[in-house]
Amino acid sequence: MDIQALWLTLKLAASTTAILLVIALPLAWWIASGRSVARALVQAFVALPLVLPPTVLGFYLLILLGPLTLPGRMLIRMFGHPLAFSFGGLLVGSLLYSLPFAVQPLVAGFKAVDTGYVEAAEGLGVRPLRVFLSVVLPLARASLLTSAVLAFTHTVGEFGVVLMLGGNIPGATRTLSISLYDQVQEFNYGAANRTALLLLSISLAALLAIYLVPALRKAEGRQADVAG
Amino acid sequence: MGVVSLNVNFALTQPWTVLFGPSGSGKTTVLRAIAGFVLPDDGRIEAASGVYFDSVARIFVSPHKRAVRSAGQMARLFPHMTVLRNIIYGAGSTSKPDDVRQISSEVIASFGLRKLEQRMSHDLSGGERQRASVARALVSAITFDGLGKPLLLLDEPLAGLDLAMRDQVVAELKRWTEQWKIPVVSVTHALGEAFQLEAEVLKIGDGKVLQQGPVASVLAEERQQLLRQLRGQDSPS
Repeated sequence: MDIQALWLTLKLAASTTAILLVIALPLAWWIASGRSVARALVQAFVALPLVLPPTVLGFYLLILLGPLTLPGRMLIRMFGHPLAFSFGGLLVGSLLYSLPFAVQPLVAGFKAVDTGYVEAAEGLGVRPLRVFLSVVLPLARASLLTSAVLAFTHTVGEFGVVLMLGGNIPGATRTLSISLYDQVQEFNYGAANRTALLLLSISLAALLAIYLVPALRKAEGRQADVAG
Repeated sequence: MGVVSLNVNFALTQPWTVLFGPSGSGKTTVLRAIAGFVLPDDGRIEAASGVYFDSVARIFVSPHKRAVRSAGQMARLFPHMTVLRNIIYGAGSTSKPDDVRQISSEVIASFGLRKLEQRMSHDLSGGERQRASVARALVSAITFDGLGKPLLLLDEPLAGLDLAMRDQVVAELKRWTEQWKIPVVSVTHALGEAFQLEAEVLKIGDGKVLQQGPVASVLAEERQQLLRQLRGQDSPS
């Protein structure tokens, strides 16, 4: 078992999920709260990683973050080393690659919140930020869980972007999915089997969280109703 | 779907004004425009605290910044909060928590909601939800942060109540708003309610204000019609 790869994968997935939620919450609320050309354009760009081959995204990021471009040179000056082939580079790639998985469930969740509740709160003089935090977000909490779980698991499973942008450096950029690839290349099927099983378990646990938590909560609510 | 053309021009002169008119005459739209949820094509909406809307000067004040508090046709109690938390939700932020508790408690008692305080919205009947919704807007108006008191907009919030309960809630509402000097604009279909309030009445029909004045003169004809109907039903056929 490649413990180093497991640790790196979990660190990458947790960091990506945390940062993505901070970005995705306001972005999704803005997209969901109206209709405009700007919103449609932003939505299209956010969804791009869903249809783009991961290697294409990885390639462009490799160029953008490298010394050939102005932003790349600025980042090199800021960090003292190129972001490509480092954890920071992987993080940037993961953020872009998993962005739609964080944003789209939230957009759907926010759109499903009855605008009557927002009006009721605004009609009491409550500021929009508080309306969002105290009314919209609690009513869309199921989509928040879906968003976090999908962003996490999608990052755990990414391969193409990681390989293009991070290479395969043990401890720095070698994630579980790359490690699995290496193990198969070395015909070490026993180790590959263990890694694959671990990845499968993570994905399954995440999906169970998405589907089981709301079902259990509903069952609990029914029991409380009966008891009441 | 028909397009409703609404062209109204009026000033509020009395503490309580009732918008009276048939369904689809635009009463709700008038309230929603005052609250800031509907953007009129053109015109001007002005309050003591300033201009809320002016199509020429391109002014539009966001709903939460207007000195207006609303309770709509639908109760819209927040489903993830208890009745009590709903009622104190819109309390002004500069009010002392003890004052908010005291006022909420009194409003809750006067609206007959005491036993329902810890219930969730889905455990209430339609009428109970409506009473809680009016209580929520009233507490928000009483504890208003700004100078003076806000305009309270009530869009048929008591339509689902039985007559006895409606009379009681209307009487309590009248007492509270008079005590705290909160101006009210309400929409109603109920003739009895308009007379009970002794309010100024704005009769709206065909998308415009047909008449404005004291309830006894503006709704005299409707009252006569109702009395004739009642007598007709009473007399043996």
